[in-house]
Amino acid sequence: MKKGLGVILWAAVSVVAAFSLAGIALNRGESINSIWLVLAAACTFLLGFRFYAKFISLRVMKLDDNRATPAERLRNGHDFEPTNKWILFGHHFAAIAGPGPLVGPVLAAQFGYLPGTLWIIIGAVLAGAVQDFVILFASMRRNGKSLGEMAREEVGKIGGVTALVTVLLIMVIILAVIALVVVNALKGSPWGAFTVAATMPIAIFMGLYLRFWRPGKVLETSVIGFGLVVAAIFGGQAVSHSPALAPLFTLSGVALALAVIVYGFFASALPVWLLLAPRDYLSTFVKLGVVLMLGVGILFIRPDLQMPAFTRFTDGTGPVFAGKIFPFCFITIACGAVSGFHSLISSGTTPKMIGKEWHAWPIGYGSMLLEGFVAIMATIAACVLQPGVYFAVNSPAGIVGGTPDAAVATISSWGFPVSVADMQGLATDVGEATLFHRTGGAPSLALGMAHIFASSGGGRAILAFWYHFAIMFEALFILTLIDAGTRVGRFMLQDALGHVWKPLGRTSWMPGVIATSAAVVCAWGYFLYQGVRDPLGGINSLWPLFGISNQLLATVALCVATTIIIKMHGARYAWITVTPLCWLVVVTFTAGLQKIFSPLPRLGFLARARELTSALESGQVAAGKVAETQTLIFNERLDAVVCGIFLVLVAAIVLDSLRVWVGVLRGTREARVTETPFVMSKLRPEEI
Amino acid sequence: MNRLRAFGRIVLAILRELADENAYRRHLAAHGRAHSRREWQRFSEERLRAKFVRPRCC
Repeated sequence: MKKGLGVILWAAVSVVAAFSLAGIALNRGESINSIWLVLAAACTFLLGFRFYAKFISLRVMKLDDNRATPAERLRNGHDFEPTNKWILFGHHFAAIAGPGPLVGPVLAAQFGYLPGTLWIIIGAVLAGAVQDFVILFASMRRNGKSLGEMAREEVGKIGGVTALVTVLLIMVIILAVIALVVVNALKGSPWGAFTVAATMPIAIFMGLYLRFWRPGKVLETSVIGFGLVVAAIFGGQAVSHSPALAPLFTLSGVALALAVIVYGFFASALPVWLLLAPRDYLSTFVKLGVVLMLGVGILFIRPDLQMPAFTRFTDGTGPVFAGKIFPFCFITIACGAVSGFHSLISSGTTPKMIGKEWHAWPIGYGSMLLEGFVAIMATIAACVLQPGVYFAVNSPAGIVGGTPDAAVATISSWGFPVSVADMQGLATDVGEATLFHRTGGAPSLALGMAHIFASSGGGRAILAFWYHFAIMFEALFILTLIDAGTRVGRFMLQDALGHVWKPLGRTSWMPGVIATSAAVVCAWGYFLYQGVRDPLGGINSLWPLFGISNQLLATVALCVATTIIIKMHGARYAWITVTPLCWLVVVTFTAGLQKIFSPLPRLGFLARARELTSALESGQVAAGKVAETQTLIFNERLDAVVCGIFLVLVAAIVLDSLRVWVGVLRGTREARVTETPFVMSKLRPEEI
Repeated sequence: MNRLRAFGRIVLAILRELADENAYRRHLAAHGRAHSRREWQRFSEERLRAKFVRPRCC
């Protein structure tokens, strides 16, 4: 009876998934309700979780609750601690959910709502969640080893070195690109700049409160911090109306970039408890709260999508970033569909806290599906905007024209009507001077979120509050990522340089700390500065680089996962990880080669360098712009080199893995599985 | 109602885990120590040092 009901229930879920997917895929010419995207994603994710992930758990991993996990065997009350699966689910999800699944889908909305939605749904089920799950399983069976350690042991030295170099490079690019997102959201916005600046003294106050007045009361401190941040949003409104204060907080892109660079340096060198940790606690809670609010808001108001299924920019001429739908849709949306960075989390804290092996199923696979759901909500938030507004906000001046009249004329000529009055009205509603040329995705996401929140109650009267609340939310956890990332980069650099000269490796030696912090900040700061000065908006160059580097890390993770599966079962189940691996290799190589060698100056780094060189040589560049143009040429060539390094790394890890796979399958190489031996679990379910 | 309460308890436990408050309790239990400002500072420094050497997700 119960089994029969289960069959009927899952059949119903399958039917709803099929109808919703068909509905969103076949609809043309009419606006579609966002609930269809929610249903398509939710039902497909449920099916993937129940059937595909369970198949992998049973047949490939052979999860066994009788086998003691590292959390039980090595329990020490610190890193290794059996933890309730739902608590660990929340912990793991909070760790993997960054700005990527919010910003990427917003940028990819330039192709229309359909490509990004389908990639998120299919990619999360068949690639992203599989990668996270298999790496979590592999690390759990190896005492919580990191991806780099597993790459070295399972694939070889090249795999280990590739993982290390990739992580360092990806950190530099990601910090630059997310800093650019914040800079573009705050430039010329005294309200936003004041609110975000205020979060720094608030975080320091929280740090002191937590350390000296109420030690251990993190939740209480975070509630106080949240209250102060909300007060800062209202303070920002007052500042924006003040003739004396508004100019102080009305900053250019370059000024903001320098401020973020200086901030990154100090935040990474200051004691962690003072600024970084309290800010991290606060941003985690705000992030989870806002994601929940967005989900509830979408279900409550069920807005219609204004963006068509496909736009004309699938041909590669999009203003937000250049490049055709294949491969650039799949590079732009990394987090939300498949993100290599997750493999670092899946082989970090989480495997050391899993109490029973079967908990890896909801934690490893389920958390990624939830992140996919966040990406779907970001897609909806971007696509509820009128397309004309979306493109006016996200298009750089270098593409649509520097004046409002030129921008609306260009955008309207593309078939997305928008007027200067519309844009001015919207800017006034959200308390901004202008919303033109706010590239990077954050402002349009904030607009979409504000629209959804305000429609749930309060209407236009509180649109400005919600817009700045959303900007504060995005900036808060992006800045947390910047200071934490700079610190991590510093440690990695110190670790590497310590082999060259020992004092540099000591984290207590101040000159070493300052020098390595400065080196990391300069590395990402250079790319940030380059992005801010780029007439094409910076996102056009940096976001694809970030996407390629992230997918490169996913390639490393999937190579490790495939090697482990082949060593366990031969070729029988290798398709589970080889399929997404092949896709990622094709996508990464195609995108990388196009970014380097495309003859189109907007797309190819070298083509743009040639165009600028030829303009310089033929005297078309004004005398005052010569130095700037030379820097642009250098930057384009530098981006081409970085992209080339990524491709070489992809080729190295794939070829090295192939060598191992062929050896194992032919029997010329030992298929030694490096799992820890079986130990019977004594942990009772009620203990966790 | 009981299920709602259980759900609330799980949510609160997740928040405490994210806030490191659960980890602090485990630390006190594992070392048989009582809560004090000095103890929190010792735990917090060790915890945060380990936390902020790992790459963060994008």
